[in-house]
Amino acid sequence: MSKRIWHHPEVPAGETTVAWRSAGQLEDTAEFRQWLDREFPQGAAELANGEESEGSRRSFLKLMGASTALAGFGMAACRRPEGYIVPYTKAPEWVIPGNATYYASSMPRAQGATPLVVTTFEGRPTHLAPNKLHPDVEGTDAFAQASVLDLYSPSRSRKILKKAQVAKRGDFEAVVTSLAADPAAKIGFLFGADDSPTRARLTKELAAKFSAAKFYQYEALTGDAAPTALGDGVKLVANYAKADRILSLDCDFAGTDSQGPVTSFFDRRKPEGKFYSEKPDAKKMNRLYAVEAAFTLTGGMADHRLRVAPSQVNAVAAQVARGLGVKAGVAIVSPELADAKQVAWVAGLVEDLKEHAGKSLVLAGSRQSLSVHLLAHAINVALGNIGEGKPLVALQTETKGLGSIASLKTDIDAGAVETLVVLTPSNPIHDAPADLKFVESFAKLKTSIHLGMRTDATAHAATWHVPSAHYLESWGDARSARGTYTMVQPMILPLYPECVSELELLLALLSEDGKLLSGEGAKGAASPAYTAVRKTFAGFGGEGETAWKQLLRDGFFAGSQYASVTPAVRSDISAPLVATAPTKTSLELIFATDSSIFDGRWIDNGWLQEAPDPISKLTWDNVALVAPKTAKELGVYDQIIALETPFGSRSPDDEAQNRTSPMILVTVNGKSLEIPVLVSFGQAENTLVIPLGYGQGFDEHDELKRGPKNECHVGLVGVNRGFDAYPLRTAATSYFATGATAKPTSKRYSVSLTQEHHAMYGRALAREVSTMVDEQKGSFAAQLANVPKQGNDAHAPPNISLYKPTDRKDQPLINDPLHQWGMSIDLSSCMGCNSCLVACQSENNIPIVGKKQVGMGREMHWIRMDRYFAAQKDNTFDEDNPEMVPQPVACVQCESAPCETVCPVNATIHTEDGLNAMAYNRCIGTRYCANNCPYKARRFNYFDYNKRNPLISHNLYKGPFGEKQTGEAPHLQKNPNVTVRMRGVMEKCTYCVQRLKDAVIRQKRGQKQEALVAGKPSTEMKVDLHTLRIPVDSVKTACQDACPAGAITFGNLFDEEKSVLGRSKKIERNYDLLNYIGTRPRTSYLARVKNPNPKMPDAKFVGKATVHMV
Amino acid sequence: MANIFPRWSNFLPFKIAFCAGTAGAGVALAFAYYATPKALVVGYQPSQPIPFSHKIHVDQLGLDCRYCHSFVDVAGHSNVPTGSTCWNCHQHVQRDSPKLAPLHRSMDVNYPGYDGKPIEWVRVHKAPDYVYFNHSAHVNRGISCQSCHGDVNKMEVVYQAESHSMGWCLECHRAPEKNLRPLEEVYNFDYSDSDVSKYTDDASVKTTQDLGLKLKEQFMVKPKVTCATCHH
Repeated sequence: MSKRIWHHPEVPAGETTVAWRSAGQLEDTAEFRQWLDREFPQGAAELANGEESEGSRRSFLKLMGASTALAGFGMAACRRPEGYIVPYTKAPEWVIPGNATYYASSMPRAQGATPLVVTTFEGRPTHLAPNKLHPDVEGTDAFAQASVLDLYSPSRSRKILKKAQVAKRGDFEAVVTSLAADPAAKIGFLFGADDSPTRARLTKELAAKFSAAKFYQYEALTGDAAPTALGDGVKLVANYAKADRILSLDCDFAGTDSQGPVTSFFDRRKPEGKFYSEKPDAKKMNRLYAVEAAFTLTGGMADHRLRVAPSQVNAVAAQVARGLGVKAGVAIVSPELADAKQVAWVAGLVEDLKEHAGKSLVLAGSRQSLSVHLLAHAINVALGNIGEGKPLVALQTETKGLGSIASLKTDIDAGAVETLVVLTPSNPIHDAPADLKFVESFAKLKTSIHLGMRTDATAHAATWHVPSAHYLESWGDARSARGTYTMVQPMILPLYPECVSELELLLALLSEDGKLLSGEGAKGAASPAYTAVRKTFAGFGGEGETAWKQLLRDGFFAGSQYASVTPAVRSDISAPLVATAPTKTSLELIFATDSSIFDGRWIDNGWLQEAPDPISKLTWDNVALVAPKTAKELGVYDQIIALETPFGSRSPDDEAQNRTSPMILVTVNGKSLEIPVLVSFGQAENTLVIPLGYGQGFDEHDELKRGPKNECHVGLVGVNRGFDAYPLRTAATSYFATGATAKPTSKRYSVSLTQEHHAMYGRALAREVSTMVDEQKGSFAAQLANVPKQGNDAHAPPNISLYKPTDRKDQPLINDPLHQWGMSIDLSSCMGCNSCLVACQSENNIPIVGKKQVGMGREMHWIRMDRYFAAQKDNTFDEDNPEMVPQPVACVQCESAPCETVCPVNATIHTEDGLNAMAYNRCIGTRYCANNCPYKARRFNYFDYNKRNPLISHNLYKGPFGEKQTGEAPHLQKNPNVTVRMRGVMEKCTYCVQRLKDAVIRQKRGQKQEALVAGKPSTEMKVDLHTLRIPVDSVKTACQDACPAGAITFGNLFDEEKSVLGRSKKIERNYDLLNYIGTRPRTSYLARVKNPNPKMPDAKFVGKATVHMV
Repeated sequence: MANIFPRWSNFLPFKIAFCAGTAGAGVALAFAYYATPKALVVGYQPSQPIPFSHKIHVDQLGLDCRYCHSFVDVAGHSNVPTGSTCWNCHQHVQRDSPKLAPLHRSMDVNYPGYDGKPIEWVRVHKAPDYVYFNHSAHVNRGISCQSCHGDVNKMEVVYQAESHSMGWCLECHRAPEKNLRPLEEVYNFDYSDSDVSKYTDDASVKTTQDLGLKLKEQFMVKPKVTCATCHH
């Protein structure tokens, strides 16, 4: 019998918005409808193929019978197992068994360190959160959140290798000693692009000790144009709080191309102010113009978005400069924009920028060409945007005077460098521009020493590979985005004794005896890096113990920003400006930064691999993305649409895991790559986007039989993943290449897309309004007032519950007088970056399930990041430029929860404080609850993902005979306060109930303290709500804490207007998801506001992306 | 037609039903007696590496619980003392007792068998992994150690005194007055009805339970009984 289907009402007449999640839905295939009707994707709940059928009902009964019979023998030996309590012999300071300890540290990165607060349990770091004291705090992105997993990665490098063979540490130490004793050594150092004061200091000492030493800097995807345009080591940092108008020239500043702490940008996307405390005012909002080829997170936030190929960004920038009358240093020889629509777009933009001179901001993508950077700088200077207190400030970093990888190659070839110490987090053997032939030069080195956490291609090519300590295991320091001195302090000794940190290696080379000391010294002495960092810090905060303690506590030293400089507009360089637009036969290939693995360095991180790409919703692989029109021209569109169908005549059960994508052959720079292709909406025509970093190693299980090849370069997570586009990339075309061709092949490749999994339907799911007066919808105020009445809520009669809200004694069922939890999610500032999703995974012990299981719709993420596209039917400006609307959906904690009434064993019930709780140990796995959830927020453990390794081929199907999780350490990351769920159990978000319980209990302890302080008998104490209710806004959920955009607000509903949550629930933008079905959710959403410029030609098509899914 | 079933078989169904019923009831009774936490865990009394006597330390010497279980009121987990806690006294007191050999091995650097490794105490009370019991939530709100752990002060060797089953937990969560005490009395194992008059002038409050009922109102004690209270 089929499931009863709730018939959502039709979309109202006159609705101009068309919204969709995937190409298949846009084309409205019958199969997509089927996805919608099921609570789990087709196939997710089936045991389809041969090896799975061993678990059929029949064989299950057989086994059950046998085991019951055998149980009689077993019972005789049924005794309580003996457990032990092993206390410390000497308790470490601050550690209270069972309580978390928090330390300030930071993650060093190229754009500036991410300040962090690390949660540790008995010395194990388990979770990361932003350090909110830090002046440059900006939340954490998915990369920072997932970096804690690297520490425990089973594939982490742990042995010293000599020519890719395991070697003795003593032999390597001898090499270091002999190097340290040779001051004339022709030694080179290849650093990453991050900035560390101690390393900068040691670099000077190294230069003094080794007369021939040379220093280089390399990371694969940091552009080199900005330093050329501005000066060596100079960088521009944006202050979004001051910027009323922002123009992004192909700059994904909210995503992978950070230009400074981005939180203040999102604060200004809320018309009521950051804390919802003001009247909505469109003037307080900023306005974002984005010029880009394919959707990025930044582009998704834009009020006005122009699709152009990256080569054409130049022409747009030149047009802006010309419009502003900027006498740029570079001769503007670019022709006028040919397209009249684009000219009109730029004209509107120019006027807006002029009106906001000194309060606007033009950002050039760091991988864009030099001419774009020169133009952007000239525009900013002309508008007076640069300087102290202005939206943009130029800062002099300490990474001055470092050579590039090209100069390194030249030096190696010339014999100036014979020994190279590779310290960069990138993987130059794999990711250096192909035409540089760095591999050949690298082989000429007499000695190469590679320090890294992975045994990647560079580790295998080097003479010596040394396993690197994780940043949570080493002493160090870093500079944040604006240069604040920021601490990197270890949480734990290196898990593996051979691990060495960057500073320790440099210090060994600097020391007189050349002895390599790492981790803990004899008798618990600190690492030499500790002494070195203290010495550096003495230059900032003085010698004393007090300043040092303060540094360790706060994680940074206030007032230590970089000095600001005033870079002149350069007129001495000529940059090529003109490029012809791509055509059908000469495509433009964009080598994109991947949102899961960045430049390839996180290929072995399971959380990042399984987090769906924010735009394409692809997991575990990379594909080439093309615009729908281009796909049609290539002749692959229909095949991609067929992705959403049970391809051919296969049985429906085969559908999910066998979803394949057609492959195309891409040729550019004389190299070719076969890669699957997917349609990407809102992408410029005739461009191809290929994210970099994949395809690092393959074994015999590879779907396309590419292996075994470089199998040892990656672990189980990274093996057989995606396609390597680095060989196509040359130094001159490091960001994009023109003249590419693509033709379809007959091959197909399976892709695990999550875009249609757990697809919701209903009216006005995501709502959007515009600050601009609209003919039909009225003024901004009218549109705001109408938000709660969008969709069905305009005319649906109020809901009447059939259930009594009281128990038999007429007591309310949800009756806690102290705390009633609630959440709001602001779609106006959410960009869909996955940070919350990974933070939730880290906090709540959510397993990864592997590519094949994701394909079947069995991913376990509690937060589902929905991504909708919405276009206006009558969009005459650009019909192929829809808006992108992200919407995170987790369990909304319905007060009248449909899931609770159907559970036969009361495993999911409501708590007194308004949570929809899950008792995992009670669940018997009927999945009725998931069936009944209109938000599709529940996830089911089809297998024992925590215990069995889902990444080994077919391992899950072997049941108890399957291999356990590999490695010694993965269980160490687990949060001890959250149950690790087993097979056959339903799970979902419970608002981080462990954090709430912890906060409430901590508050209860206060009663005792009060009694002690008052000096009265406890029986005379007055205990009231204020004693027992936690302070306003004092507890945060993991997702809320991680969010760089401040989009998630959580709190106690009893705090009302005193709390940010209470205020957010009172504003007009607040609405309940699927309000009309009467679930009374505790999580509400705040409608997205777009702030278009009425003078722009596309203004009236913006701000109407209200999503109906019917 | 001849009778297939002889006359005696008339009562056979009743006999079978009676026997099956008796057997079923027997199994149920046996299960309740042998296989529930009350039968399985109450009285569990493993021998410890050091035969530590709570009777001597608490009852005779008068040590407070929190001298050794020092984090019981600030953490969910009630810690077992570190080796150095024991060593504080026992480097002076009863130093040469052979019973303290494991402590010497762990703490005494001059001891021949010194290895510095912690003492492995055998766990007596164990909540399953999916139960999150928080000691600090209870002892700071007037629930004594005694309520769950029994008369530990009288125990030569610690054993489990109560079943610690979910039903047992819920009994108290539904009617906490039986166990509620003034905060001063939480660690007092000799608290009795005679102590009640110290805390109230109300003549009608005679027993600890009367006082508990009063404190329940006064402390706003409303224990939760839904799943997420202990399972998350």
